Amino acid sequence: MRTQGIDRRTWFGLLLATAAALAPGCATAQADKPLRLGFSMARTGMLANATPSQANTYELWREQVNARGGMDVGGVKRKVEFVTYDDQSKPEQAVRIYEKLITDDKVDLLLAPWGTPFHISIAPVLEKYKFPMVGNTAASVALRQVKPGYIWFPTSAIPDRIAVELVAMLKQNGAKSAVVIANVLPFTKEIKNALEPELKKGGIDVKLSTEYPPDIKDMTSILTQAKQANPDAVLALAYPGDSVLYAKQAKELGLNSPFQFIAIGPSDAFFPKAVGPTSTDGVVTIAHWSPRPEWKGSQAFYDAYTKKFGEDPDYLNSALAWMSLEILEKAVAKNGLDKEKIRATIAKDTFETINGPVRFDGVQNAITPTAFVQYQGGKMQIVWPSSIASAKYQPKKGW
Amino acid sequence: MPFLDVLTSGQLLFAALVTGSLYALVALGLNLVYGTMRMLNVAHGDLVMLGAYAAYWAFTLAGVSPLAAAPVVAGVGAALGYALYRGLFQRLIGGAQIDAGRVEANSLLLFFGLSIILQNVAALAFTPNNRAYQYLDNVVRIGNVSMTGNRIAVLAIAGLTCIAVALFLSRSVAGLAMRAVIERREAAYIVGVDVDRVQWSSFALGFGCAGLAGVLLSMLEQFSPFSGFPFTVAGFIVIILGGLGNLLAGLLAALLLGVIETYGVALTSANLRSVLLYGVFVGALVLFPNGLLARLKGRR
Repeated sequence: MRTQGIDRRTWFGLLLATAAALAPGCATAQADKPLRLGFSMARTGMLANATPSQANTYELWREQVNARGGMDVGGVKRKVEFVTYDDQSKPEQAVRIYEKLITDDKVDLLLAPWGTPFHISIAPVLEKYKFPMVGNTAASVALRQVKPGYIWFPTSAIPDRIAVELVAMLKQNGAKSAVVIANVLPFTKEIKNALEPELKKGGIDVKLSTEYPPDIKDMTSILTQAKQANPDAVLALAYPGDSVLYAKQAKELGLNSPFQFIAIGPSDAFFPKAVGPTSTDGVVTIAHWSPRPEWKGSQAFYDAYTKKFGEDPDYLNSALAWMSLEILEKAVAKNGLDKEKIRATIAKDTFETINGPVRFDGVQNAITPTAFVQYQGGKMQIVWPSSIASAKYQPKKGW
Repeated sequence: MPFLDVLTSGQLLFAALVTGSLYALVALGLNLVYGTMRMLNVAHGDLVMLGAYAAYWAFTLAGVSPLAAAPVVAGVGAALGYALYRGLFQRLIGGAQIDAGRVEANSLLLFFGLSIILQNVAALAFTPNNRAYQYLDNVVRIGNVSMTGNRIAVLAIAGLTCIAVALFLSRSVAGLAMRAVIERREAAYIVGVDVDRVQWSSFALGFGCAGLAGVLLSMLEQFSPFSGFPFTVAGFIVIILGGLGNLLAGLLAALLLGVIETYGVALTSANLRSVLLYGVFVGALVLFPNGLLARLKGRR
């Protein structure tokens, strides 16, 4: 009977042998298992129309990383997959999502959500779980209040710095008077608060300074007054929603100041489509990136983005999103998935990005200068500061 | 130019008329559906949004001018309205007697669901990107008033449509039947008004107006799948100001809203826009709970 069946000892041996055979397989399975990156994004709600330039950039990156065999995790290539949820444009929802991503989904790495309030809201969650995340589309003086440690902000478009640089640029181009029109939402309000004293200090006559609510539908009365003031510069501190309203009504009313600054909106691809190439030309806006030969990969990023999505990347938000991915990629290649080591690397190393070198001092980017771009012949060119300028500023010739 | 001249310059009047006429068109469609059936269409703004997308795609993909697309979009909107009425909303209403409270509550829920579905389907199908195109934006100068072509077109089309609907309601038999159903539903039944026809036609007309308003909106500003809701709110303010179901008073209330938005802002500050708007709204509700022109209507 014994010879016919398999006895217990043989069973045990077989089991051991199988286990031994599978063991190296397990290690391979770990490398084969895709790397899971989690983030929340406003896919619905009032901010949803602002997020595609960032979400698209993430998509493009995943596609490219997986095409070259995966993300380098301490020397092992692993394919990347996203775990993502809609935060419905609510920061408190993002807080819950990041908690869930960390504790429940147990993602390997985190990417940033869209916008300043979202970054600030989730910072304590990152701190609590000691989970490092490179931010991107957040810009506010309030970022400096965020405890340094597990979050970093690569942007140099911080309102008080914008005010200083903008006044310097105005003075260099001979502007003697200005009109300030500001949306009351936080970012532009912060710029306005910093800009007014700075303009005064710079000896630029502020002929009119006024605010308007985000749901404004008509600017005729404000812009008629602005036109009467006949300033050298109109500083329209607008958000994407009202940037087009400003441009269209400035054209209608013939508000033809040679220096036309529109804070946010023009760097997004919909702006030239909405107001037309002639009106867009000469508009100055906030961004610190453009494809430059000095910045390795910047042209390749621009080309890949336009090829995949059929429109230009946002010169501010898409570029920032890509930079954050580059920084994360390098930190993970060096350290694997050890969170503390990743944190230490991001906190002290200097990273080459499509926006030039980036090094963090606390939570802020210490290298990239605050800059402005101008539409010239349908393309955005960095016109300030001269250290990274790709073209010379030109006065706007009407709308 | 002193400030007083700005106020009397005509530039502000033009702006007020453009804003007011677009509000009037939006509110008209909303009011028709409410008036005849006591249905609160909170998805009305989303229909405006869909109209805007229709014009956008027609213009960018096929090069069709929004002016040419407008009647088609309005027609498709009307057909959609008819289909929704037959398929979904007809069963909410009883016969001659209408339990207004029940219909209001049930239609509110149905339309709210419809609104969420429309927004999210639009976001999935069209992406949440801002969309806009450039059309008729040459500047025309008459006297000291400068106007862009598209704003003149919006004023003309919205204004003429409102006048046409007003004439239809006061002159034609079908229009009178509609008003009869709005004002005395049971009596209309008794004198032989085909209430079902009135109901589906006001649904179709209401949806058609929303589609048309969307086409006009797309010529003026950028929009996304979530741009509709503010128009629902504006529409409700207008029809409550004018008196729910009181179509002609609604048109005047829309112009009033346009005047508040431009002159109110010019006289005070743009930051007070919402305060003025809702201030007038609340004030009107307290002083004239049946609408600003209720007394006028009662006398007629």
